[in-house]
Amino acid sequence: MTAVRVMLITAGVALGCYGAVLLWDNPPVVLLRIVMWAVVGVVVHDFVFAPLCAAVGLAWRRLVPTGLQSPVAVAALCSVVLVLLAVPVYAKPGMRPDNPTVLNRDYPMGLWISLAIVWACVPLYYLLLRLLPVRQDQMVDRQGTDDVERQPPSV
Amino acid sequence: MTTSLRGTAVTARVGMVLGVAVAVCFVTGLISHFIQHPQPWFWWPTQPVWLYRFTQGLHVASGIAAIPLLVVKLWSVWPKLFERPILGGVVRQLERVSILVLVASMLFQLSTGLMNIAQWYAFEFFFTTVHYAMSYVAVGAVLVHIGVKLPVIQRALSDPIGDVAQGGAVGTSRRTVLRGTWLAVGLATLVTAGQTVPLLRRVSVLAPRTGDGPQGVPVNRTAVAAGVVKSARSPDYRLTVTNGPQTKTFTVADLQAMPQTTHRLPIACVEGWSADAEWTGVVLAELVAAVGASPDSDVRMISLEPPGPYSRTVLPARHARDDATLIALKVNGETLALDHGYPCRLIAPTRPGVLQTKWLTRIEVVA
Repeated sequence: MTAVRVMLITAGVALGCYGAVLLWDNPPVVLLRIVMWAVVGVVVHDFVFAPLCAAVGLAWRRLVPTGLQSPVAVAALCSVVLVLLAVPVYAKPGMRPDNPTVLNRDYPMGLWISLAIVWACVPLYYLLLRLLPVRQDQMVDRQGTDDVERQPPSV
Repeated sequence: MTTSLRGTAVTARVGMVLGVAVAVCFVTGLISHFIQHPQPWFWWPTQPVWLYRFTQGLHVASGIAAIPLLVVKLWSVWPKLFERPILGGVVRQLERVSILVLVASMLFQLSTGLMNIAQWYAFEFFFTTVHYAMSYVAVGAVLVHIGVKLPVIQRALSDPIGDVAQGGAVGTSRRTVLRGTWLAVGLATLVTAGQTVPLLRRVSVLAPRTGDGPQGVPVNRTAVAAGVVKSARSPDYRLTVTNGPQTKTFTVADLQAMPQTTHRLPIACVEGWSADAEWTGVVLAELVAAVGASPDSDVRMISLEPPGPYSRTVLPARHARDDATLIALKVNGETLALDHGYPCRLIAPTRPGVLQTKWLTRIEVVA
């Protein structure tokens, strides 16, 4: 395994250096912009986006009933992805007057409808889970058949 | 509960799928790069005609699929950022730097790629060369990361994903995290892939293009942007075909009088959209033969557009002699719209749209 690891790391460093050499062809001003773009991406993720998600997650665990937490978490992830994908199209910042074949959708409507569908799935999933019969060997609330409840406290 | 949800069992599994997405994205990206910057060792077929449409559609789709994967992957490891010691010894510092390069280059590639398909150039550097160079940095960082983490990955993959055994609390499970991730990947694909998969056109509400356009085909560079509105419509227009000293010129009427061939060929843009269309025109090989050139010569296509990065391209001999390669005068039964390259344009199988030169003025056989 050590040999494989050494090979992976060596190949990785070599490829990375090749990329750096290619980037080095850019004039210093452009190079600075490239580095800034990369650094800003990390900073925005690590110190804005991630803490925000963590804070929302904490609040969510207090507010959302346990039975709904899983579908709500999945819906939240889907919403984040939809919003990220909508960023470059929502206000059509890349629109040019001469070409009506690019950015030719109603993106606000598309985003809101898709978000609405995602969130409509939460109660739907909850209802289905309640209404559908529990099958043999199926786990309910992550409890296997061999799970035994704790004894109630002796009075 | 947070730590049990975030555990390496999730990180390794999402990471593995993300690794596959990155590999697909890298390989398809390289294919597109080497078609546009041919190397002696590089070989690209003319059949099947939809091959480039497929590889480039896959490039953009795998990049978009990587977005939810990266979100979940980073979420699963984020608390490690604050683990003590923050700096530690040399080995730890090196590992931290490699992860910084990894995260920065991945975010860089996905953000610039996503903005490019929406033609939003807020970053002020030339997209294609920088995206290409940074891809080596990103893939290199991925390889280093796998090399460093290999023992952890092996251990994590053999960990059971169900956490009942460890007495996990009732609520969201790691299995839910994984299923949610795959669902988000599916959703991201669904809302964007319609620009290249006609079946999904109606549901792809966030795709940069609907696939509509004049004569049923979208446009990337318009006649206005290319500055050819006057020259393309001029009655003095001629198509010149040269092979060394041998030269022939054709008016639009001359071209129309030649035998016309119709082929169904996709136009597939580097930006990941594509559309099938019926192109009608003169087979390029006949024009090349008319000036006595060998079918083994590469052919240079020159546009009316003033000199720029895409105003001229060289078509390799393999594509130049293919019967499906046309100098098209019509699309979907109508005379080419000005934005599609009127009076005539190149359309060859399995080539990036940007190399399907529009508003042709000159075809030179390269010795």
